[in-house]
Amino acid sequence: MTHELLNGLSSAEIEQILKLGTRLIIPSGVSLFRLGDPADRLFLTERGRIKLTLPMQVRGREEDVFVEERSPGQTVGWSALIPPYRFTLTAAAALFEAEVIALPREALLHYFAANPAAGCKITLNLAVVIGHRLQLFQTMWLREMQRTVEVRSA
Amino acid sequence: MDMLLIGLCVGVSAVAFVALAFGAAMRSEPWNTTAPPQLPLVKAVAPARFFSDRAPVPTVVPSGQVPIEVLLLQIENHVRLEQAAAESFLAFPSQALLHSKTTSPLVN
Repeated sequence: MTHELLNGLSSAEIEQILKLGTRLIIPSGVSLFRLGDPADRLFLTERGRIKLTLPMQVRGREEDVFVEERSPGQTVGWSALIPPYRFTLTAAAALFEAEVIALPREALLHYFAANPAAGCKITLNLAVVIGHRLQLFQTMWLREMQRTVEVRSA
Repeated sequence: MDMLLIGLCVGVSAVAFVALAFGAAMRSEPWNTTAPPQLPLVKAVAPARFFSDRAPVPTVVPSGQVPIEVLLLQIENHVRLEQAAAESFLAFPSQALLHSKTTSPLVN
């Protein structure tokens, strides 16, 4: 399993990082974390899919609406490394159970302090993950805005 | 003397009749002012359904609206299509890909 967050690290470094974590099995539909929860762990997806949702008012009812899905190798919950350390989405196992490795923030920060080179690589990988999310949603936002403008101009 | 007695009897009878009539009139007045007795509320009974054991399914969705589950699936499908379009744009940024039309039924 190759994790996007651990790209460029040696096998020994990857092993050390993974030893900091705990494997969790998330049954289908069960939440890994909810919007607003304190974010003190980030998760590496090992198996299954993690569905990310946000609450939205649909016909007067609050519904968790699909935002994104994370597959094996991808990172979930990077709010654990970004102040104010609160999750900004709700994450749950999708159709089937999922397996993740939960990495506590404190343990990671200690590791980064002791291994700055590895810490730098992980931070850069995290920047790629965050940057991709930003670009993706920027594009989606622009497309929605374009449609709104077209409807208003029609 | 006889005439006097007959007149007295008729007078007493007339007074008694008037008194009875007045009493009856006084009793009948509150009858009219009291509210009619409350009948126990009975739920409306559905018309009998012959030749069928099935209860009618309540209609929740107004006509012309898709069920909310279908709408949520349409939203999810729309987001997936938009993400795919955004991924295409990010892989090969161009104005044409940025503004490519979607096939999502949510907006079409």
